[in-house]
Amino acid sequence: MVKQVQEAYIVAATRTPVGKAPRGMMRHVRPDDMLAHVITGALAQVPTLDPKLISDCVVGCAFPEAEQGLNMARIGVLLAGLPNTVGGITINRYCSSGINAVQMAADRIRLGEADVVIAAGAESMSLVPMMGNKVSLNPEIFAKDENYAIAYGMGLTAEKVAQQWGVSREDQDAFAVESHRRAIAAIDSGAFKSEITPLEVTYRTPNLETGEVISKTRLLDTDEGPRRETTLEGLAKLKTVFDAKGSVTAGNSSQMSDGAGAVILVSERVLKEFNLVPLARYVTFAVKGVPPEIMGIGPKEAIPAACQQAGITQDDLKWIELNEAFAAQALAVTRDLALDTSKINPHGGAIALGHPLGATGAIRTATLVHGMRNAGQQGYGMVTMCIGTGMGAAGIIEVL
Amino acid sequence: MIDEFQHNEETMSQTKFNVRKVAVLGAGVMGAQIAAHLVNAKVPTILFDLPAKEGNKNGIVLKALDGLKKLKPSPLSNKDAVGYIEPANYEDHLHLLKDCDLVIEAIAERMDWKAALYHKVAPHLGEHTIFATNTSGLSINKLAESCPDSVRPRFCGVHFFNPPRYMHLVEIIPCVTSDAGMLDNLERFLVTTLGKGVVRAKDTPNFVANRIGVFSMLATIANAEKFGIRFDIVDDLTGPRLGRPKSATFRTADVVGLDTFAHVVKTMDDTLPGDPWHGLFKSPEWLQKLIAAGALGAKTKVGIYKKDGKKMFVFDAASGEYVGGGQKGDDAVKDILKIADPAEKFRQLRASEHPQAQFLWACFRDVFHYISYHLADIANCARDVDFAIRWGFGWSVGPFETWQAAGWQQVAQWIDEDIKAGKALSGAALPAWALQADRAGVHFADGSYNAAGQNLVGRSTLDVYQRQLAPARVLGEAAAPLGETVFENDGVRAFTTGDDILVVSFKSKAHAIGPDVITGLNTALDIAEQRFKGLVIWQTEEPFSVGADLQSMLPAFMTGDWAAIDATVRRFQETSMRLRYSQVPTVAATQGYVFGGGCEFAMHCDKTVAALESYVGLVEVGVGLLPGGGGCKEFALRAAQEAKGDVLAALKDYFMAIATAKVATSGQEAQEIGFFRKGDPVVFNAYELLYVAKQQALAMAESGYRPPLKVKGFPVAGRSGAASIKGSLINMLEGNFISQHDFFIASQIADVMTGGDVEAGTLVNEQWILDLERKAFMTLLQNSKTQDRIANMLTTGKPLRN
Repeated sequence: MVKQVQEAYIVAATRTPVGKAPRGMMRHVRPDDMLAHVITGALAQVPTLDPKLISDCVVGCAFPEAEQGLNMARIGVLLAGLPNTVGGITINRYCSSGINAVQMAADRIRLGEADVVIAAGAESMSLVPMMGNKVSLNPEIFAKDENYAIAYGMGLTAEKVAQQWGVSREDQDAFAVESHRRAIAAIDSGAFKSEITPLEVTYRTPNLETGEVISKTRLLDTDEGPRRETTLEGLAKLKTVFDAKGSVTAGNSSQMSDGAGAVILVSERVLKEFNLVPLARYVTFAVKGVPPEIMGIGPKEAIPAACQQAGITQDDLKWIELNEAFAAQALAVTRDLALDTSKINPHGGAIALGHPLGATGAIRTATLVHGMRNAGQQGYGMVTMCIGTGMGAAGIIEVL
Repeated sequence: MIDEFQHNEETMSQTKFNVRKVAVLGAGVMGAQIAAHLVNAKVPTILFDLPAKEGNKNGIVLKALDGLKKLKPSPLSNKDAVGYIEPANYEDHLHLLKDCDLVIEAIAERMDWKAALYHKVAPHLGEHTIFATNTSGLSINKLAESCPDSVRPRFCGVHFFNPPRYMHLVEIIPCVTSDAGMLDNLERFLVTTLGKGVVRAKDTPNFVANRIGVFSMLATIANAEKFGIRFDIVDDLTGPRLGRPKSATFRTADVVGLDTFAHVVKTMDDTLPGDPWHGLFKSPEWLQKLIAAGALGAKTKVGIYKKDGKKMFVFDAASGEYVGGGQKGDDAVKDILKIADPAEKFRQLRASEHPQAQFLWACFRDVFHYISYHLADIANCARDVDFAIRWGFGWSVGPFETWQAAGWQQVAQWIDEDIKAGKALSGAALPAWALQADRAGVHFADGSYNAAGQNLVGRSTLDVYQRQLAPARVLGEAAAPLGETVFENDGVRAFTTGDDILVVSFKSKAHAIGPDVITGLNTALDIAEQRFKGLVIWQTEEPFSVGADLQSMLPAFMTGDWAAIDATVRRFQETSMRLRYSQVPTVAATQGYVFGGGCEFAMHCDKTVAALESYVGLVEVGVGLLPGGGGCKEFALRAAQEAKGDVLAALKDYFMAIATAKVATSGQEAQEIGFFRKGDPVVFNAYELLYVAKQQALAMAESGYRPPLKVKGFPVAGRSGAASIKGSLINMLEGNFISQHDFFIASQIADVMTGGDVEAGTLVNEQWILDLERKAFMTLLQNSKTQDRIANMLTTGKPLRN
């Protein structure tokens, strides 16, 4: 058991709107700029907090290279104008990077070695593609048949889950339609307003005739992914992408996206000293490995493990942000654990809202905190996802 | 030859005609495709149409441009071309016409619409702008009346055939006011820049090709009815068996569109009242019924043919119903068509009692009858008729040539007898010249017969034709091989036309590369190094080469003599390397298929001169092999040379090109994919290939040619690179996109192209990869699944997926 000396509380949580990649509204926005933006946005929620007390900033990113390389965390801290004393560390566990940032930040506090830590995630899939700019696989992968799955693309693993768990194309498509429906309803009701820090973006185009640069700015405050026009009939027409004889399509998979999220965690001492309102208490985190060829099933192992660590049952969870990497895996996990579907992704999931890989954990933490509070709910909530090469992660917080 | 060349240079400079920009008026099927072909040829083009009533005012043109991208076969020969078509409309952009050196009007075939447009655009034309109308049949002289006096000398008709990129024919139809110099300039541009075969036609309805081509279809329809031949059998008999396109007669009508076909027939009905065959210019009742029912052919998916699932049905005029299709001609008749001697073939066709044979004879007879009757009115000479039909309708032999080959006198006598017996479609007598007792034909060494002038007309003396060292010929013209033979074996003929360049042509079927070709090519290289300034590989006809001659390897293959095959592959590789490193510049002049080993030879030449219609690919995986003649090596080397630090990134597309047997569908696309080097010439007129290739070889020689220095060490992507490629392959395999054997072949290709079992960045030389290539080739050759693929290709001609 963890030797915890103090509790860690979430006092601020925010995110950017999520843009579509690679040709969406945030295609030119640098991930380090997004990061600085959400750090500033989170701090604006706790204006009384002295930034000098921040000891570190932990940032999740799935492909920390090029525009999001060079330890983006420290660069984001400096671009946000935080004191030089604030540290920065970029961490990577692919899709759970963002929730692991929260976990690492909380653990520094729980251990008593820090009082204020920022946890964040940032990813531009427009600027740094999935798999990164240069893929280089280890030749040993092909030396043994059992290692082949290390090289499997995520979509192929979703096909394997769909086959093994018998998830039909129709069910996957219906799941996707529901994700869009919920996301649109959330947008229309203004449910995301409290969690999104609007982002001003400048689009620059040269006027080749006059020699001038024409700048246009736009304030982005709404997620770009959800589609009002998505229908079962429309999705049924899409071709499979990863398996010629399969069931996984672009329509029932998560979208590639750009976005960032940030959460500020503090100790009880700081909470009292600065008279801050705790939004949630950090509870626990668990990660579990599964065979890489069925990586999507990962949450099935991680969710019970996290609940056990927290000393609760899954029925105690009021709200679950279960990352929809693919409808196939989300359905397989939900069905196997007999999770209550009404509690899962009430505002839609990654199929509609998008999945900026390493940022998703931080972004969905903001959704969980604000979503439960706006709904007047208190109690346990979870952020969970599957992870490439075969893992599942689950983090639990208690919304206050 | 040198003197002649200098002379040409002089005349060229006197008549230089710069086409900086062209405008095409009308973004319909023809206008848009003509614009596409212009930008294919790097001619900036403005495409006009009416302003759209709502939305973007260029909306009509923009829609047409979208349509171009979807058309198959593609009217665009490279991916960037369409961006150089500037959309415009008659309301906002007429001022742009002043910068156009050529304006082609291609709006709907309505005299009144065309006239109205001419009034609108004429004031905006530049001072020297050539103004040409693309029409398939309207009177050019009548249209000229709608042009102001100042424009009339620069006005003429120009008739492209659909699809304009692929159909070689363009008819130029002068009006009485057309300036001769202007017509010459237009012809130069059409021939060299756009690569077209020009026939100058007289201003008579439907001009030459359509007048005869459509007549031939009508005569076929009438004779089919007369002899009771089903439409699918008609198509079986009047397609490739006669050296004509697969679409033959009725399928062609479906492709053209039955409504369009009926429209053309109606035009003939309206404009040719005095034609003795006028009664034939009516759409048959069954055709009118199909059109009324909306069965218009390919565009409505139902016409004379219709497909139901996988089954094909054909319209039966007698019953008015569709019946199961796919019936072939009778074997006895097909056997007659196989007879090589034309005289004997025609004798048997006419003598046979079989209705299908009588039908075929009748079709030929009526066309011969028609062309001889009208030759004086419609064409400048018989050669123009034959070229028009060959280039505009895809016949391999023109109708006059066919007649002449079958024996002019005998056939003329038969036709005459049939006319007198009332068997022909018209009772009009054959013209006297056709029945002259001493007439041996219409094509002779010194010209082709002009019935109007009763003289022989020689070839055009226009300078542009000096570039065609081996132009299209009609029967009766010089058939001797080009130039003086320097060396010849069973595989190649090497010759010179006296300009210090040795030209090598393969003699094998489809120019496949077997031991004789390899030996011959090496001997030619020896000779060229001793006595010539450069070497050009050029074939007398397409294709350039379908690749290695698998058949020739069969004996060694059967006896399992792997050492012999290994030696052959090694010899192949050495020949590729000689093409690269010989002491003289080497040029590959390509057209048609440039596959496998043919592609590898071309890749190793110092330069390629590609006809636009070159179809290029390393297609070995189709037979379960990999390129073993230096193709893998060449791409690995190029990737290393192009890589800016990341060899694998530079290699990936090349790997995919080989692993997926990607075929470039034009000489330009071959450069985009990387088979050919960017900046090498692409020639639009295949008849100019040899001229340009020799110029390139000479230019290299005269620039102080030295063979490239052998690359001492170039970096490869190594084991990690191969693993990264296999990462993609495993996903394709597991995703059921490729078979286990595909995976195996592609893995072999990856291992070869990444340099084998070495670390990334390791420096290797060309021989290192050639050795890997050859070993992998031998490994695959001994694999039973590859052997199945080869056997399937040799027996069926089609690739096997296993």
